[in-house]
Amino acid sequence: MTPSVETHNLTVIYDKKPAVWNIDFTLPTGKIIGIMGPNGSGKSTLLKAIMGIIEPNIGYSKIFDQELDDVRTRVSYVPQRQSVDWDFPASVKDVVAMGRFATKGMFKRLNSEDNKIIEESLQKVNMLSFSNRQISQLSGGQQQRVFLARAIAQNADIYLMDEPFVGVDAGTEQAIINLLKSMRDAGKTLLVVHHDLHTAQDYFEHMVLLNTRLVAEGPTEKVFTKEILTETYGGTLTTLSKVASLLKEKDFPMRHK
Amino acid sequence: MEFFTEIASFFTFSEPNVKVVFWGSLILCAISGLVGTFTLLRKRALIGDVISHSVLPGIALAFIIGQQKNPLYLIIGAAISGWISTYLVDYITKHSKIKNDTAIALILSVFFGAGVLLLTHIQHSGNAAQSGLDQFIFGRASAMNMNDVWLFTIVGSIITLLIVVFFRGLSLLSFDESYSQSIGFPNEILKLILSITTVITVAMGVQAVGVVLMSALLITPAACAKFWTNNIIHLAILAVILSGLAGVLGSAISYTYNGMPTGPWIVVVISVFAFISAFIGSKNGLAKKVLQRNQNNKKILRENTIKLFYNPDEGETLSYPFDTVFQKSNMHRNTLKKGLNMLKSEGLLKVTNGAYKPTELGVKESKAIVRKHRLWELYISRFMHLQPDHVHDDAEGIEHVITPEIERELEKELDFPTRDPHDSEIPY
Repeated sequence: MTPSVETHNLTVIYDKKPAVWNIDFTLPTGKIIGIMGPNGSGKSTLLKAIMGIIEPNIGYSKIFDQELDDVRTRVSYVPQRQSVDWDFPASVKDVVAMGRFATKGMFKRLNSEDNKIIEESLQKVNMLSFSNRQISQLSGGQQQRVFLARAIAQNADIYLMDEPFVGVDAGTEQAIINLLKSMRDAGKTLLVVHHDLHTAQDYFEHMVLLNTRLVAEGPTEKVFTKEILTETYGGTLTTLSKVASLLKEKDFPMRHK
Repeated sequence: MEFFTEIASFFTFSEPNVKVVFWGSLILCAISGLVGTFTLLRKRALIGDVISHSVLPGIALAFIIGQQKNPLYLIIGAAISGWISTYLVDYITKHSKIKNDTAIALILSVFFGAGVLLLTHIQHSGNAAQSGLDQFIFGRASAMNMNDVWLFTIVGSIITLLIVVFFRGLSLLSFDESYSQSIGFPNEILKLILSITTVITVAMGVQAVGVVLMSALLITPAACAKFWTNNIIHLAILAVILSGLAGVLGSAISYTYNGMPTGPWIVVVISVFAFISAFIGSKNGLAKKVLQRNQNNKKILRENTIKLFYNPDEGETLSYPFDTVFQKSNMHRNTLKKGLNMLKSEGLLKVTNGAYKPTELGVKESKAIVRKHRLWELYISRFMHLQPDHVHDDAEGIEHVITPEIERELEKELDFPTRDPHDSEIPY
């Protein structure tokens, strides 16, 4: 089976300090996969590097064993809800329609089929009655649903979601996880950044545990253990962060030719 | 009186130069309204300010090199120095410890300072062709000629075309840059289009408005329009219209008071638009809030009145003379009359011989409002642990807000209750 996402030595350095360091893994398809780790452990950065939104300084990643550009229409990215200004002049439908731009490109008009897909996507997240609502009037949970609907409208095979459960109400959280499960059952792969340990075990079948470096990756029952969690959440590696600060301070290159 | 004749003479184009000023200001302002829509939406308002101040040294240098006031040279000079300034701001922010706001302040003042220096140097050089160059600081639309207008028209058309063609990409870039990148839109090219069009628009616009106020002309029209619409296409169109109108009115006023700079007047007019929009704009405007409050009061009166006709016993609906209804209510006599008339006109009440009787629809409505009231009472007594004698006042207010969706949620959450905390029946 082709792996869904693989990264090789993926390293992203912000301002000389690594945000993720030497990440190396191969993930299965058709599963709900959690990316877990404490704040500032590089979860979002990892997702952005895989999506080509941030250029990795070292290493590379592949999706379905191919370059991102060759499989872009099969990949959907859900940014953090807080990363956009919801006061933007747009309706719920306008935002979900953006999902169709992935296949339509910048110039082709949306047709009735696209509209059907948009409506179905809204239906799936239970927001169809909000189609014409201004996005500035939505609650946090509703905003997240709109973002999910936009991703669903892309009709992709793999979904990379950045913190879809942050700041949503309990009802929305349950609705989202049910939706993810039904997508998984339809053969989709879901890569979800998450930080709540309590729910992690119920939500994810497979996990990536991250704290700047990769701590563990594997099926939940194997990696969701006390030792591994302690290692992930037990603070940074002191020596590693010392090396990182040295790199920054003395302006050393991380790799040299 | 003289003022009006002067204004009239402006709009009838009685002087040949007026036509030039009219079209020049209209085109410049309209384009800056269009381009500024994206400056505003991308939250680059301060960058607009940097560019507009930074075109000054470019204009001066272009004059020094060309030794004449050829508009094309001046615009090219302005565009280049404007471009360099934005590039420097981005570069400094990205590659140094200096934060964005500091970089903006730094570049703006350095470039503007250099521009003023160069301008002073030119003025003292004794070149006769330089006269009027200092008007770039506050703008003077009357200094334009027909060649300028043609140039603005051609360049403006190209800018408009670019923005219309790439509208989808530019909107997505402005809303959600990461997502735009993730679906493979060429973000870098889109950003390039925006910065080129902004720089060129500013470079042309300083003719009419001047470098000091140009950024106001970029941002204010779109900011105005945002009070009226929440659709990005409408926003852009409205910004263009408002901005064009401000351009024409502003230059008309400045023409009338001979010797007044154009820029400040255009900005004053667009600011008046902004002020008005903030008050009466249909979105987020003050008048909207007043209107909303009126609607709410109407709804409350309507529902409170029909509630008076609630009859827990099924079966025959009774008629009530006005005085009976009045005693039941604790409303003002006239308020109640207003409410009753409202219900009558909506067909919820029938009046026979001065007695009011609810129609079938009226009965249904009265049940609905009582149901909402009692559901809410039950909800807060259960989930907020309030005593039954504390829930009534809260429900009096909330019953008017509850939408059918929320009502269904309440029913579900309370498991379709039949009795409220006071053990009265909840009517369905």
